[in-house]
Amino acid sequence: MLTDGLFILFTVFAVTGAAGLVLFKHPMNGAMSFLVTLISLAGLYALLSAKLIFAIQLMVYAGAIMSFIIFVIMFLNIQEEDLPIEEGRFKYLIGGVIIVAPIGLFLSRVIKSFPGADAIITVEGFGEIKEVGLLLFREWLLRFEIVSILLLVSLVGAVVLAGTRRIAK
Amino acid sequence: MIQSYLTVSILLFCIGIVGVISRRNVFTVFMSIELMLNAANLAFVTFARLHQTMDGHVLALIVMAVAAAEAGLALAVVILLHKHKGQLDTNVFSLLKG
Repeated sequence: MLTDGLFILFTVFAVTGAAGLVLFKHPMNGAMSFLVTLISLAGLYALLSAKLIFAIQLMVYAGAIMSFIIFVIMFLNIQEEDLPIEEGRFKYLIGGVIIVAPIGLFLSRVIKSFPGADAIITVEGFGEIKEVGLLLFREWLLRFEIVSILLLVSLVGAVVLAGTRRIAK
Repeated sequence: MIQSYLTVSILLFCIGIVGVISRRNVFTVFMSIELMLNAANLAFVTFARLHQTMDGHVLALIVMAVAAAEAGLALAVVILLHKHKGQLDTNVFSLLKG
């Protein structure tokens, strides 16, 4: 009963936040609205008994990545007149919904074929740090290392792109 | 239960697609891409719960790392383009157009 209520609450918050991200004109409002979505997604992960992902979603996504995005938005000091003029915004939004709706209907028809898992009780230690860590460092070790190389490449790329300071002549 | 979580995932993903194709503010487009990544994460975690294996959790972790890398690089590009063009309109960023 409690999980159903929490699921509905988190779903409403997640979808409202995502809609706000698409509808708000200023990116700062959109970022705040997206933050609501991320935190309610963390709640959904907790309801799915993914304890490690719940913590990492809150710390890394809602904490680090979103504060980075908000930091850059504030760094550029965006005023109302800097924003692109989007007069036909709602027209484009309605067009986008019309284009995307068949895909969504198709996918929702696909998921009807999956079995429900109401009766499944999670095994001992499902989604905890130790179990996920064992899996990560045993079977997914190579991909974990590849991700570290990806992060290094993106770090170097960001420094090369944004960090060059041209000497004034 | 699994169906309702997957429905949420589909809804968030479709909202992300709509944001990418209908908005012109580069920050909103970027955050819509992040929203689609999050919807994929929710689907991964839901399937991990369905099959009682934790590979979905590991994949969600890897997707989060990819999102962090993407955020770092994309925001560097946005800062560079804002320095060059002084605007945030994706229609203005057409340097590769022939």
